Amino acid sequence: MTTRRLLVLLATQVLLWALVSGLNHELVRLRLFLFEGGLFVAYGALFLPFGTGLAAAFIAGLVCDAHSAVPFGTHALLFAAAQAVLFRLRDRMPHDTPAGLLAVVLLANAALFLALSVLEVHGGPFAMRRWGRLVSDLVGSQLALALIAPWFLALQAKALVLARAESTRQS
Amino acid sequence: MPRRFDQNRPFATLGIIVAAWLILPVGFKALVRASFFELTAPVAQAASYVRDLQEYWSLRLHTESELIEAGRDLARVNASYALSVQQVADLQTEISRLESALRLPPRPHYREEAARVVQRDFSGWWQRLVIRKGSSSGITVGCPVVFTGGVVGRVSEVHTFSSVVEMISSPDVRLAAVIEGDTRPVAYQGGDNPTFGPAKGSIEFVPLDIFAHADSPRSLVTSGLGGQFPPGLKIGDVVRVAPSADGLFKTGEVRLDLRLAELDEVTVLVPEAQP
Repeated sequence: MTTRRLLVLLATQVLLWALVSGLNHELVRLRLFLFEGGLFVAYGALFLPFGTGLAAAFIAGLVCDAHSAVPFGTHALLFAAAQAVLFRLRDRMPHDTPAGLLAVVLLANAALFLALSVLEVHGGPFAMRRWGRLVSDLVGSQLALALIAPWFLALQAKALVLARAESTRQS
Repeated sequence: MPRRFDQNRPFATLGIIVAAWLILPVGFKALVRASFFELTAPVAQAASYVRDLQEYWSLRLHTESELIEAGRDLARVNASYALSVQQVADLQTEISRLESALRLPPRPHYREEAARVVQRDFSGWWQRLVIRKGSSSGITVGCPVVFTGGVVGRVSEVHTFSSVVEMISSPDVRLAAVIEGDTRPVAYQGGDNPTFGPAKGSIEFVPLDIFAHADSPRSLVTSGLGGQFPPGLKIGDVVRVAPSADGLFKTGEVRLDLRLAELDEVTVLVPEAQP
């Protein structure tokens, strides 16, 4: 059951990665970049047992790392850390309502984006201007996330039901 | 029933994972990275083939008269290129003759490998392209990548059927360049990629007698120093220079080609031994 749940979650995450990559490919003309890392960790952290959610977030992070110019493991460890924090706090978070769930995902995404930015931007002739670009990328990412998140979280839940691997919530 | 260790102590579990990851050998991580890239590469490649198919069907919508007109224009361009090719061949013969007469070392020779762009990945953190050719086409890490407007970047990762190109607009790219018409090298670095605006780079160590302005920009080209890029490839236009803080040199701003964000095809220059 755990393996099937993990595989279903990974399949949806690879789909998300492909969709966001395609979107970013087209948005290059506008010099805009979308980062939706919060969605890779949210469902697993809020609705699944810790081990399954952690494994899914870590492997999804490795997929992102393989296609990024960061030391291998950066996304994976950041996603794992976000997953652990969300799992620890999930009983105190209002994620039972759609609005509350969206707020949690937005917060997780913003935290991951800022953490990655701090790791990546260190000096250089355009350091301040790069932060300007990163702020607009973050705003764009959050707006896109607000549109995508309800659909994607519902897709993950439905995929687990179809694969008969739905979660029995464990805290 | 007592809860499992990982559920009871999530942060301790995370700490164990971080520690385990940090002590893993670099070679193992490189292998896992390559495996994950190759595993997911078909997803991005399939998307690029679908885009090519879309383009093909949109081209099929052109009328016959439009195609005839385009063919006629192309024939004119081909005729002028044929003349240029002949002139280049004459010049190369002359260069070879002079090299042997002066006993100069041979200039690096490159094979041109055209490749379709699979994925454009331009963020505030990095600027990269994934192209549809890799080690199976003889591409190696460090190969220069060019297009009609000049330098695109250099190959930073090579996989079997795809490669990753680090763009010249990327903050991590530094290379030696010269202002066209001048022989003194300057240091170029990418990094300014504003939203909705053109990408820019910066130059350092510009001699004090060089002047440039947005109304009268100067071309910045590769110097050939370092051996990675052949000399004379256009990087961008220097639109501003100002004295640096130490007063010994100037620093400047380079406007990069707008078409860098719209590339569908690039050419990789693969170094070859002199025939």
